[in-house]
Amino acid sequence: MKKPIVVLGLGNPLMADEGIGTDLVARLAQEAARYPSVDFIDAGTGGMAVLHLIDGRRKAVFVDCAYMDEAPGTIRRFTPDEVRSTKVLAHQSLHEADLLRILALAEQVGQSPEQIAIFGIQPQVVEFRQGLSEVLRDRIDQYLVKIRSEIES
Amino acid sequence: MAKTVNINVHHVTRVEGHGNIVVNATNGKVEKVEWQVPEAPRFFEAMVRGRSYEDIQTIVSRICGICSITHSLASTKAVENALGIKVSEQADKVRILMHYSEQLQSHVLHVGYLVAPDLFGLPSVVPLAAKAPDAVMAVIRLHRLANEWSDLIAGRTTHPVTLKPGGLTKFPTAKELRELQERLKNSVADLKAVAAAVLSVAGNLPNFTRQTEYISLKQDNPPTYTFYHGDITSTDYDGAVSIHDWQSVANEYVNDQSTAKWTKWHRDSYTVGALARFNNNAPLLSPLAKDVAKMFGLTQGCCNPFMNSVAQLVECVHVVETSIAMIDELLTKGIKPENVKTSPKAGKASGCVEAPRGILFHQYEFDRKGNCVGADICIPTNQNHAAIQKDFEKFVPEILDEGEDAVRLKLEMLVRSYDPCISCSTHMLNVEFVR
Repeated sequence: MKKPIVVLGLGNPLMADEGIGTDLVARLAQEAARYPSVDFIDAGTGGMAVLHLIDGRRKAVFVDCAYMDEAPGTIRRFTPDEVRSTKVLAHQSLHEADLLRILALAEQVGQSPEQIAIFGIQPQVVEFRQGLSEVLRDRIDQYLVKIRSEIES
Repeated sequence: MAKTVNINVHHVTRVEGHGNIVVNATNGKVEKVEWQVPEAPRFFEAMVRGRSYEDIQTIVSRICGICSITHSLASTKAVENALGIKVSEQADKVRILMHYSEQLQSHVLHVGYLVAPDLFGLPSVVPLAAKAPDAVMAVIRLHRLANEWSDLIAGRTTHPVTLKPGGLTKFPTAKELRELQERLKNSVADLKAVAAAVLSVAGNLPNFTRQTEYISLKQDNPPTYTFYHGDITSTDYDGAVSIHDWQSVANEYVNDQSTAKWTKWHRDSYTVGALARFNNNAPLLSPLAKDVAKMFGLTQGCCNPFMNSVAQLVECVHVVETSIAMIDELLTKGIKPENVKTSPKAGKASGCVEAPRGILFHQYEFDRKGNCVGADICIPTNQNHAAIQKDFEKFVPEILDEGEDAVRLKLEMLVRSYDPCISCSTHMLNVEFVR
């Protein structure tokens, strides 16, 4: 049975700060007992799989690395209608994905949760290596406070 | 009519991963046709060095978000081969079920979300959902079933957590398998609906043929339309080569127009993927899968790369039908708990499975403590790059008279038919605030 709230961590832990979403959700999953109505899911780079993970929920919270023209390490909470995707897709492969386009499809087919919140974290470094940059690592507690507050609201 | 065409599909803005399409033709004379892949090397092989044999799968499952089960299985098989670890028949069957779930996931997504919009003359699946809502909903239901099937067997939709050298950490219960089997039986109607929708626009698949070598796994004992066991074969070769000798098949080499390695065996290029598997193994398909192939007029020996998407549809039906039978076999024997213990030792070996987009090779070497000292991974997309180039070279002169827009669209459709994995390691957001 799906729980009414889902927190989804997106990204790739083999790509430095690109893995911030999966890192934070793995930490929150350890506190799952405190949140009986919340599923915490590491969705990695599954792309369109998100469509099925949010269906039937009241609220979906995403945590992802995001280029937002902010200082590295900045976290911002936004809803899909507060932003415009500036991502360029080559449309050559289904391996590329844009969360905002997936959410638009969910909306169109009537499978979008009532509430969607996205936490974007501006990366310091995205490259082929494991482990977060120091800038993001030092702010993990701050990020967790914000996400906990969202799911408790 | 002599045509001048200049196409440079070259993404200078930030794109997660892409290939460039370059065509220059003056007065009907083709001067340059190139499929360029400027992707940065990914260095996954370096990331696993020094890591324990027990950690390899977790790391390589992140190579790709679409084929994470496939990479996990190829690496786990390689580890088991290197360390001499045996796997029970039960674990083997459950892994194949897991693998089938990913074939369905990937194929349905590819045909429904990437290829169908082209065939319906639309830019993406979003407007397609308005134009052909029943077909899109059937695609979404099938994709959901495949994802939840992966969830059940692999422990997570993407990046599996139940695999370990020697078996699995968790097996589905008999009740869960019965429920899955029921859902698979019920999905046949959706499979037929999607096949009918694609068939209604199949006339828009370009009629292009290039004699091609197709490479895939083949399994004789027992004869199986295989994705998981067997040896390497090709449409140019009657025999079979052990998967441990894959380097002598792939013959990887570097090419100036691409940072990804290219491959060749008996010709200057070869193709892997659903059409390759079909061309090598079609008589072993399940009955309903054969019916779908027949509906589309797909026969062994087909050398039209656009028909890869039809072969994927055929395989969707095959994996569902075969899984229904496999679950019966598992239930008849009963699911038994396993607690496999493994220990490190030195060794070097390969593992091979069919990814949705073609044959995938992993090779690892371990020291006596079981730590990785070397790795070599050869992905299907790299094996298809030379074939895409050769397709371009033959296709462009044939369609040049259709004009620049048509040439660009058809070349993009050709690339999409291969569904290259050149963008799957990162999925970050790029946004600007509008409110």
